[in-house]
Amino acid sequence: MSGVEEEENAAELKIGDEFLKAKCLMNCEVALILDRKYEQLQQMSDDPMNQVSQVFEKSLQYVKRFSRYKNPDAVRQVREILSRYQLAEFELCVLGNLCPETVEEAIAMVPSIKSRGRAHDDDAIEKMLSDLSLIKKFE
Amino acid sequence: MLTVECVISPENLDPRGLLLQRSIIIRLLEEFANRKVTKDHGYFLSVTTLEKIGEGKIRPESGDVLFPVRHNCLTFKPFKGEVLKAVVDRIVKHEVFLICGPVGNVFLSVKTMPDYQYVRGENPTFMNNESSKIEKGGVVRFVVLGTKWVETEKEFQVLASLAGDFLGPVS
Repeated sequence: MSGVEEEENAAELKIGDEFLKAKCLMNCEVALILDRKYEQLQQMSDDPMNQVSQVFEKSLQYVKRFSRYKNPDAVRQVREILSRYQLAEFELCVLGNLCPETVEEAIAMVPSIKSRGRAHDDDAIEKMLSDLSLIKKFE
Repeated sequence: MLTVECVISPENLDPRGLLLQRSIIIRLLEEFANRKVTKDHGYFLSVTTLEKIGEGKIRPESGDVLFPVRHNCLTFKPFKGEVLKAVVDRIVKHEVFLICGPVGNVFLSVKTMPDYQYVRGENPTFMNNESSKIEKGGVVRFVVLGTKWVETEKEFQVLASLAGDFLGPVS
C-alpha cells in the first residue's frame, strides 16, 4: 500500500483498494454502533469510561455531535435512499454526513459524483437531495 | 469521516487457562485498544464482529500459543480531498487548530482562509467581510489539503483549507 499515498485523493475517489472495497459508514451509523457498544460496557462494569480507549471516546463524541439523523429508522432510510443512486460507498457517506442542500453544494462536497463517466445529471442529484430533506423534516 | 469496516487478521497471544475462547476475545480487545492507530488503516474505533479464530501455534521458546483472529472493526482515516467538519480548538495569529474526532492535529493556515482576518483579543477569532466568524468551540467545514502520518508520534496530521465553495464556519 505504500505507493498509494502519493496518488490519494478522495475528490477523485482515489482512496486505496482496501478502503474502496470496505463498507463505509456515515457518522449517524457509527454513532448507533458505538453507542450500543458503550451501553454493553455499562452493563458489564461500573466504570465504562475506563474501559474504552481515547480513540473510542473522542470518536463517539464526534459522531454524536455530527450526526444529522438520530433516529435509527431515519438512518436506515437515508442509507436506503442514497443506495438507489449509483454511488460509491465513500460518496454515499460524505453526502449523508454533510447533507448538502443544493446540487451545487453536493458537487462541491463530492466532486467525484460528476466524473468517471457516470455523470449523475443534475436532476437526479436534485431528487436525491429533496428525498433526503424529507427525512430530516419527519425525524 | 471515512469510517469503514475492515477485516484484520492479527496474531493474538497466549491465552492460558480453560476458558480459551473467552480469554482470546479479552486479549483481542486489549490488543485492539492498544493498537489505536496505524498508517494504513487509520484510527481504530471498535471491534464489530468476530469472524474466525484460527488454529493455535505454539511458540517453542516461551510456551505461548499464537492464535490468528480474524475480525471486523471500525476505523477512521482522513483522506486528501475529503470534506470534513471539525471543532476549533485554538486560534493564533496565522493559524487555526482544529480537532476532528480522534484526529487531534488539524492545521488551518491563514494562507488557506481566503478573506479571513485575524481579530485579536482575549479570545481571538478570524472574521471575513460578511461577518462570518471562526472562534474557539465553533464548527468549521474544510477540505483536507493533505495528510501526514507521523511515525514517532503515531498520529495523523491534517492540513486543512477553506479555499472552495461551501467551506467555512457552520452552525
